[in-house]
Amino acid sequence: MTNLDQYRESLKQSGLEMFELCEKQMLKSKEAFLTHDSDLAEEVIHTENRVNALDLKIDRDCERFIALHTPVAGDLRFVLALRKINFDLERVGDHAFGISKYIIEINTPIDPKLLENLRFVEMYDSALSMLDDIKEAYIVDDTKKARKVYKKDKVLNKININAFKVISVEVKKDPNLIDQYLLLFSVIKKIERIGDLITNIAEEIIFYREAEILKHQKKKKVRKPGKE
Amino acid sequence: MNNIRKNKIKDQAFKALGMLFTLFGVSILVVLIYNILHIGFTRISWDFITSLPSRKPEEAGIYTAIIGTLDLMLLTVIFAIPIGVGAGIYLEEYSKKSKLSSLLEINISNLAGVPSIIYGLLGLGIFVRYFNFGGSILAGSLTLSLLILPIIIVATREAIKAVPPSLKEASFALGASKWQTISNVVLPSSFGGIITGIILSLSRAIGETAPLIVVGAMAYVPFVPHSLFDAFSVLPMQIFNWTTRPQQGFAVAASAAILILLLITFIMNGIAVYFRNRWQKKLK
Amino acid sequence: MGKEKNENVIESSLKRKYKLQAKDVNVFYGDFQAIKEISMDIKANSVTAFIGPSGCGKSTFLRLFNRMNDYVDDFRMEGKIFIDNQNINKKKVNVELLRKQVGMVFQKPNPFPKSIFENVAYGLKIQGLKDKTFLQERVESSLKQVALWDEVKDNLNKSALALSGGQQQRLCIARTLAVEPSIILMDEPTSALDPLSTAKIEELIHELKYKYTIVIVTHNMQQAGRISDYTAFFYLGEIIEFDKTNKIFTNPEKKQTENYITGRFG
Repeated sequence: MTNLDQYRESLKQSGLEMFELCEKQMLKSKEAFLTHDSDLAEEVIHTENRVNALDLKIDRDCERFIALHTPVAGDLRFVLALRKINFDLERVGDHAFGISKYIIEINTPIDPKLLENLRFVEMYDSALSMLDDIKEAYIVDDTKKARKVYKKDKVLNKININAFKVISVEVKKDPNLIDQYLLLFSVIKKIERIGDLITNIAEEIIFYREAEILKHQKKKKVRKPGKE
Repeated sequence: MNNIRKNKIKDQAFKALGMLFTLFGVSILVVLIYNILHIGFTRISWDFITSLPSRKPEEAGIYTAIIGTLDLMLLTVIFAIPIGVGAGIYLEEYSKKSKLSSLLEINISNLAGVPSIIYGLLGLGIFVRYFNFGGSILAGSLTLSLLILPIIIVATREAIKAVPPSLKEASFALGASKWQTISNVVLPSSFGGIITGIILSLSRAIGETAPLIVVGAMAYVPFVPHSLFDAFSVLPMQIFNWTTRPQQGFAVAASAAILILLLITFIMNGIAVYFRNRWQKKLK
Repeated sequence: MGKEKNENVIESSLKRKYKLQAKDVNVFYGDFQAIKEISMDIKANSVTAFIGPSGCGKSTFLRLFNRMNDYVDDFRMEGKIFIDNQNINKKKVNVELLRKQVGMVFQKPNPFPKSIFENVAYGLKIQGLKDKTFLQERVESSLKQVALWDEVKDNLNKSALALSGGQQQRLCIARTLAVEPSIILMDEPTSALDPLSTAKIEELIHELKYKYTIVIVTHNMQQAGRISDYTAFFYLGEIIEFDKTNKIFTNPEKKQTENYITGRFG
């Protein structure tokens, strides 16, 4: 393996490390939220430091890669994509951190019926599976896998839009529940943003592999094959 | 008539003139050789080569002269090569560049152009008289060595100069001493050039008559010299001697001897050219 | 007296850390000063690149480490050069022995007009090493290190001049490695080669640094970025900046360095 390849490989590994770190953060936050486990939440909050440190390291390593190896073509697209993916993952980690913070701030666990009404668990699980999909796509450089997340994101968007209506109706029935519903709504918004971040990452992977820029475009269902 | 046409005409004229002069030179050579061939070709025979000179033209042969020429060449080579090549290596590789060394360089080149009879006088004074070698092969070969020494020195220096300095650098960088570099890199590369120089200088020496006359080569040596101190003769001398005799037979014999001498010269030059070509190819 | 002793202990432990050192070096060619007050410490098993415009003293400085400047008329040096703690300009130092420790590769490949085998074995033969088996093993291992073995193993007796430019340069590197130096000096080793050969040799340098200490003069800044750990920027006989390569290429201290690296001058 050439020097350049070694460096690139190590960058990719760092990216994977970031993926796994943020995935764990999200898993822990979900469990902490559903079981109201404040110890687990503390863990997530504590681990945020690691996320930030890794973010900085990847940033610095990307800069170094560009300065020392003057990459072009695929190598250049890779490092430019990685910088953005890193940025997006850090935000995902940040959202997981925020969700855990909520758990610390409230005293009582959430009523499971409310969770059911809002399809909370379904939404969270969708987001988690999207993250897993995109991580796979990143590992094997597969743009087909990357494109899978668009469909799942639609589910997230639907649940998000629905949540507003459901809460509107439910709160009028029982105004005491407003605190819990507001909290849930904040978390649902976070999960919806996590979905957006993951679709961003998908765009970056597609840009890197196919040199096609999907930003600010409407996602069509059928796509040309492109470079795999 | 415009400039382009003028230039074209000048071009053609120059070409034609060049060809004319070349033809002129070549044709003179052809006429000379044809003349000699015509007279002397039939005289050449194994007998001719192996017979001693005699007062009778029909029996005269060039045996002594050829042996003398060959012996002389051999001895000259033995004396001249080590000194000439050694001096060339020293001057090119070891001596520091200074006013003295530039003076030396100019003077050696000058020596190559000094008329050969001067060398004859030098040889007479030093080898024949002072060292008392007499008019012998030893004296003759030492004199000729002095004659061709400058040529060999210059040829050696030029051959060494032609070795790219990058090769010497590479050798030094690997930890070789100066002498190791010279013997392993410089000399093998310059070998062809040096050999060419030696052969060319020898082929010149073969034809030298004046210095040998001065030193005392005899015109009439009816025996084969056995020791270094014996009297001797060489081909050019024999030719010279025969052309001064009145008998027609000797004129024929002289022509035949000239042909043999020419043949030897051509062969030697041919070998030199062959070596030079191989050497130049190696350098590329 | 005690303080002096302590300083020497510190100095000597620093010296042990560094494979090559230059202290207050000035170099003159007649009246012209080619190197001005340069001091430098180079660590073992690293690749150090010298960059800078032409004629700024990079090659001159490089050649101080194997005393190749000794052959130039008018050359005069002040200051000290240390290799493995020893001052290499002292009278008792054997230059030929020094050059077996410090090998050099030149800009234009310069194989001898001999066979491939003879080229690689040259450095060993001049040391008097004659054992055939030993020579064959050493030649094979050197050619393997430069990834030439497979290409030439059936043709070791062919003339080295029949190889391509890139192969010839790798051969010259093998020739240097055969002597088992600990330091390799390279004076623009790839500037006469095509991009593919250049890439192969850069790969080679990257592998060699684990066994050797390498100093390379290069006109190609990207090359310095790709292969070196430390970079020294030379300008008009002085070192403007000497630091880790990634510092020099991401955030150099001196404006001059930045201007040169970004192509704004020189």
